[in-house]
Amino acid sequence: MIPLTEDLTKAWLRRMGLPVPRGYVARSPGDTQADGPPAGPLVVKALVPTGRRGKAGAVVATDDAAQLRAATERLLGAQVNGHRVRAVYIEERIAIAAEYYVSFFLQSDQAEILISMRGGVDIEHIAREESGALVRERIDPLSGLSPWSATELWIRAGLEGPVLPRVADATSRLYEAFRDADALLLEINPLVVDSDQRVCLVGAMMGIDDNALFRHTDWLGRTTVLPGNPRERAVALADRSLAGGPCQYIELDGDIGLLVGGGGAGLYQHDLVLELGGRPANHCITPPTSADTGKLKAVLAAIFDNPAAKGLLIGFNFAQMARADIRIRALIEVLDERNMDTTDFPIVVRLFGAGEHAARAMIGQRPNIHYLPRGASLKDAVELIVQLTAAQRSPAVRMNP
Amino acid sequence: MSILIDRNTRAIVQGITGAQARFDTEWCLRYGTQIVAGVTPGRAGQTVHGIPVFDTVARAVAGQRVNASIVYVPAAAVKPAVLEAIEAGIALILVTAEYVPLHDIVHITAAARRAGACLIGCNTNGVISPGKSKLGGVGGIDPQELFVPGRIGICSRSGGMTAEIALALKAAGHGVSTSVAMGGDAVTGMRMVDYLRLFEQDEETDAVVLFGEPGTANEQEVAQALHDGAIGKPVIALIAGEFQERYPPGMSFGHAAAMIMDQSQSATAKREQLREAGARVASSLEEIPELLGAPGR
Repeated sequence: MIPLTEDLTKAWLRRMGLPVPRGYVARSPGDTQADGPPAGPLVVKALVPTGRRGKAGAVVATDDAAQLRAATERLLGAQVNGHRVRAVYIEERIAIAAEYYVSFFLQSDQAEILISMRGGVDIEHIAREESGALVRERIDPLSGLSPWSATELWIRAGLEGPVLPRVADATSRLYEAFRDADALLLEINPLVVDSDQRVCLVGAMMGIDDNALFRHTDWLGRTTVLPGNPRERAVALADRSLAGGPCQYIELDGDIGLLVGGGGAGLYQHDLVLELGGRPANHCITPPTSADTGKLKAVLAAIFDNPAAKGLLIGFNFAQMARADIRIRALIEVLDERNMDTTDFPIVVRLFGAGEHAARAMIGQRPNIHYLPRGASLKDAVELIVQLTAAQRSPAVRMNP
Repeated sequence: MSILIDRNTRAIVQGITGAQARFDTEWCLRYGTQIVAGVTPGRAGQTVHGIPVFDTVARAVAGQRVNASIVYVPAAAVKPAVLEAIEAGIALILVTAEYVPLHDIVHITAAARRAGACLIGCNTNGVISPGKSKLGGVGGIDPQELFVPGRIGICSRSGGMTAEIALALKAAGHGVSTSVAMGGDAVTGMRMVDYLRLFEQDEETDAVVLFGEPGTANEQEVAQALHDGAIGKPVIALIAGEFQERYPPGMSFGHAAAMIMDQSQSATAKREQLREAGARVASSLEEIPELLGAPGR
């Protein structure tokens, strides 16, 4: 899930015809915007993709230009919940008559809605202290959330009178905004009814589905944070710029490099390494069938560049859709680009299926690369790499060239 | 018998002109699968390995009996393709694409359920009833080497692991009635317990091997069905991903769903739930045949 910042979330809600306060992004204390809110009561918030900003002191109410400037200066550059504040969001302050809570989330085969009359406070607190104040319901994806179903939900939550249809209508349209954004989470807290009984979505937070970014290209690149580890960063950049399915490299604290295929086989082999006393240097995901090996090579490069790695296991399921020779060609290319001598860096390969003969020929007589015979199990491969890496770790048994 | 597919299965391929679809279709045909038409809008009149291509599913199925579709379209096009197959009355729909948006998956899952269609995947590499038929890439270019006919059902969250399980079974003299890769996403059309119910009714299946992963309630639902007596046949379960419990929650290590959101969905918790419900829990592939006992008992 990719968390969106408040400005993007509110811009989306506005585009979907929902009422949000007028606001703008400021990157320096003097920034203003022509169609922004008029001078007067405003709220300045640190623009970071995290909740609980109020508690962190990152939401400040201001009444005039001097206060606005002071608050902006104070927030810019500060750290809020682990994020450095590079911009603030400035919006009009709404006169609050009542505060409610609405959220939508999707984590199973139906989205769910959670509503409460107790808005403006931490929802976890309400769930703990007075769970009776929460109404939770599943939403049928084929019929959505009609205004009349939303009305029923708000009646159950205790809402009545002239604001009921207004809040219910906003709730129904919020579900559409949630679905059309491909959001996995949308939280409105508080949903405010102002002194004129108008609805306004004052607090808004949204997290979206990574897999749906192709439908929301204006959010691409504005949302993902690159990892700090240089090897993880290099793979993340390759993932962004190269062709093929997603790749990922996560560095761990062990010394056995893992290039393990498929969701299932990767999990299985990682378990086995630990069970047999080894410690993985990384976990990774590579595109399963891509003929374009750029991403595969980026992951291999990261594994070899990790100074802690002392060996490599290349373990894939019996190939049903991908070719073994394509993967081994990528390995050879990365080794040769680095002029890497594998004499002191054991590599165990368990790769069967289409292209296997050519793959074995490519490995040839390279030292310390162990291409297991056809029929060897995933466990055989794990046992061998754990044993060879242990030998590499211990200088006593280190072989002389 | 077998489940889902057999010699009488007649399938179409949606997105047949793409590279993976062409490759898999060729090997399905060589295996003996009846693939009777393909669909790629704008390509009507072409053929792929002798199979005629149509512009719509309705045109592809017109005037003939078709009971399955393999959908090879990219993730962005999965939702309309599946809805088109459902509308054309196709009873069994396989979706191969990975990384389909969750709102789309939820929608097609509900639509298939309403229409009474079986939706396998997303992110399946296929179904095989050895010696009868296979749909999808399962088995690669030499399915016979991996999957021999027999009386054990396989249901796996991972397509690749179906091959490893079949090999472990074969080494011990067991064969497979049907093997299905149900897909590793957070939400799948058919759930693990749905496949188990089919295997339960299949006269040609004696026992079922499951491959599970952290995340989702699939294995919990199986444990419940075992506990309730809805499943009486022996269930052998291999659950991978215990290592994730050593790392901070929320880290993702593979399939989208294999992220522990909730401790009751960790590999350790799933093994415990299944064991308590009467399943036999294997700690490695090699242990699966031992837990099954001798073939033909």
